Amino acid sequence: MASTELKSDNMFEMMKVHLASDAGKELTKKIGLVYQINIAPKKIGFDEVSYIVDLKKGEVTKGKYEGGKPDATFSFKDDDFIKVATGKMNPQIAFMRGAMKIKGSLSAAQKFTPDIFPKPAKM
Amino acid sequence: MSMRELVTGGAACAVPGSSSSSSNPLGALANALIGSSSKTQERLREIPNAAAPTSDTQFYSQVDDSVAALPGSELDRPFLHSNAQGSDFIRGLRSFDDNGLADAWEEIQRQPHLDHLYDPAAAPIQPTLDGPPQRVLSSFLHSFVDSSRSGIPLHPTPLPLLGLSQGDKQCIRDRSSIMARHFFADKSEDFINAQVNALLSSLEIENDVRARGPVPGRFRELEDYWNESQGILKPGARSADGWVTEFSQYTAQHGDTNAWVRSFEQQHGASSWASEFEQEQAQLTSIDHLNGGDVANLAAIEQTRMLAHTLSQNDDPKFQNSKFLQFLSKMSRGELIIDDNQVKPASGSWATEYQQQYNGGGTWADEFVHNEVFRGPDQWVNEFATERERHEQADDQWVNEFSKLHVDDWVEEFGHQVGEGILGDTSSDNWANAYDEFLNEQVAAKQRSDASSGVYVFSDMNPYVGHPNPLKEGQELFRKGLLSEAVLALEAEVMKNPENAEGWRLLGITHAENDDDQQAIAAMMRAQEADPTNLEVLLALGVSHTNELEQAAALKYLYGWLQHHPKYGTLAPPELGDSLYYADVARLFNEAAQMSPEDADVHIVLGVLYNLSREYDKAIASFKTALKLKPNDYSLWNKLGATQANSVQSADAILAYQQALDLKPNYVRAWANMGISYANQGLYEQSIRYYVRALAMNPKADNAWQYLRISLSCASRNDMLEPCDSRNLELLQKEFPL
Repeated sequence: MASTELKSDNMFEMMKVHLASDAGKELTKKIGLVYQINIAPKKIGFDEVSYIVDLKKGEVTKGKYEGGKPDATFSFKDDDFIKVATGKMNPQIAFMRGAMKIKGSLSAAQKFTPDIFPKPAKM
Repeated sequence: MSMRELVTGGAACAVPGSSSSSSNPLGALANALIGSSSKTQERLREIPNAAAPTSDTQFYSQVDDSVAALPGSELDRPFLHSNAQGSDFIRGLRSFDDNGLADAWEEIQRQPHLDHLYDPAAAPIQPTLDGPPQRVLSSFLHSFVDSSRSGIPLHPTPLPLLGLSQGDKQCIRDRSSIMARHFFADKSEDFINAQVNALLSSLEIENDVRARGPVPGRFRELEDYWNESQGILKPGARSADGWVTEFSQYTAQHGDTNAWVRSFEQQHGASSWASEFEQEQAQLTSIDHLNGGDVANLAAIEQTRMLAHTLSQNDDPKFQNSKFLQFLSKMSRGELIIDDNQVKPASGSWATEYQQQYNGGGTWADEFVHNEVFRGPDQWVNEFATERERHEQADDQWVNEFSKLHVDDWVEEFGHQVGEGILGDTSSDNWANAYDEFLNEQVAAKQRSDASSGVYVFSDMNPYVGHPNPLKEGQELFRKGLLSEAVLALEAEVMKNPENAEGWRLLGITHAENDDDQQAIAAMMRAQEADPTNLEVLLALGVSHTNELEQAAALKYLYGWLQHHPKYGTLAPPELGDSLYYADVARLFNEAAQMSPEDADVHIVLGVLYNLSREYDKAIASFKTALKLKPNDYSLWNKLGATQANSVQSADAILAYQQALDLKPNYVRAWANMGISYANQGLYEQSIRYYVRALAMNPKADNAWQYLRISLSCASRNDMLEPCDSRNLELLQKEFPL
């Protein structure tokens, strides 16, 4: 916990639990792709932490992808990822602003939308 | 004040008692550059000036004045400064120093009207665009780019009239604002806006698309002429679309871009994608061949394509039918090209020339075909850039310069297209919308950067200002559940008494219940300033930061709660203060809970702490314990619900939220949370109703608007996206009653 510094860590943890739910299983059926998401605390490309959101198996893991090549890889700053995942920033705008970098297959990348992420409830 | 007055030291910027403009730094710069020729100035005054006065210019001239008066400051050398970054610009100016600006103006006037250029039947027209003003423009645009490398703020610079067309201006405006965001990605939004404004005001471009004045006469004339000369070129013929246009139009036509490759193939025949690309590539590459200026043309095509696209978004039918627009789209499709500054209709011989020129392998197209998978824009653009460098030493015409400038930006430009292809999920989600949104975002950015940096943003019109006792009124309104109204009353209170901790605290609580955590945090910070040890404030800050996923901050405040608690303060060792570890804090709170198991507050804080560490089961247990002690605490029911929701126990969460809403029917946060729970279960239709309900009570709850938008598209209610974007609550409520 003390080592947790990224807001995105929370989101991925939530995603992990979410994928086990019925709605999450629906998601794996619908998308069936593997995304790698690189999160940088301050600047894209520096001190990145990688997460694999495996929407084939319905898993979220920290670290690089072991099973070959992910279908698409995204790079974000921590804050920007949260903004995109919670719908605060439209992915197109994120891309336009250079807040999101994409590698990999186009058709895989286009399925990366805010609605694959669970929305955090607020206390 | 117009730019001309700045340059000539007109009345508005002259210091009283001084007839010379030398007291004005901008005027002085201009004088230094143009040799202070009074004759030139005389003639300058005669120049018809189409630009409307802009307040930006005024602002900058004042800034420069005050800056000049501050020796030792970072900006104490306005001239050198301009010199440093504008050296190109000055060189450009000096090169026609002898002729004077007036001559330059006349040269602009002598230019044949653009419409000649558009006439496909007319013989190629001699170069007209490489006059001095264009060199000035290009130098100036370069200095804008250079300023990005040095990170020095760009100062507005008086430029001679450049004779920019509306199209040029719009183009420069649109591009510079996007470019600037990439150049200055590490700078603040304010800095970027200042840069862009400096650029635009120097070029006498109004930074407001809709504030454009009436179309100048020359433009109308152009249209008339165009109407006569047209007829041969069927506007809108799409057979030879340039691939860039193809790509962008494609997304506009196909709402669902799920398999864009496939449908592109369908549209153009099987296996034709690669050959299509090859063909388009042939055209593009052959432009290289036709002109040493080469890639500049490609960029110019791109340029006009952008412009045409932007213009085509304009609803004004006059614009839609405008021949200018048609010219642009022709340009953008490569049907017309600019070659050595002549506009030529593109001929069928391109393909042949391409064959001759690039007969061997190794062309882009070939490479492309070999790459089975399109490897993203980077590679392509790299090649593009290499190609460009080969022809670096092209002449100095403005088309070139201007385009080269944008070649830097081309990566991004191409990226936009790809972004659209990748991410456009509905037809309404096209580039134009995104760009509009992007512009809106810029407008709203100032306010938002305030809010996110913890500065409280007050409402504009507040009827409670002047109220004899706004605090009492606010408390009353809060109790009645009229949260948005209570916000206003409490704002009036804290404006009157900025040190009133209770006013700020209640304001913060109200915002939190109204589902606005940014404002809640901002208000609570002020409350904490006024009263650093208030336990409720510390807890509220801990909760809000937890909601915003800001763990370190949340931990700090929750620990502060313990430290300042009269009973448990002794538990907190003073040395822990700075480097907080979650485990330590949790341990201390557990001790506190053992000390007094009947204190609901300890259990509440503990529950929040467990949320931070995502130990949701423990958090739920803590909140349930607290609820036994405080069954009527609606915010506690909501905390329980939120925790259950985040641990994917949505059905339980909805029961807990319902409890909260029974106790406080206007609890916006609980309504929004209900929506979130349904959405996370995939019940989007249901979630929409709850979001709309929350928004009906607080239309300022931005989160709920964003979530509503997501749910609408997931529920395939794209028809309601427009009302959502325009925040048409009336329609949404009618459509989604609860």
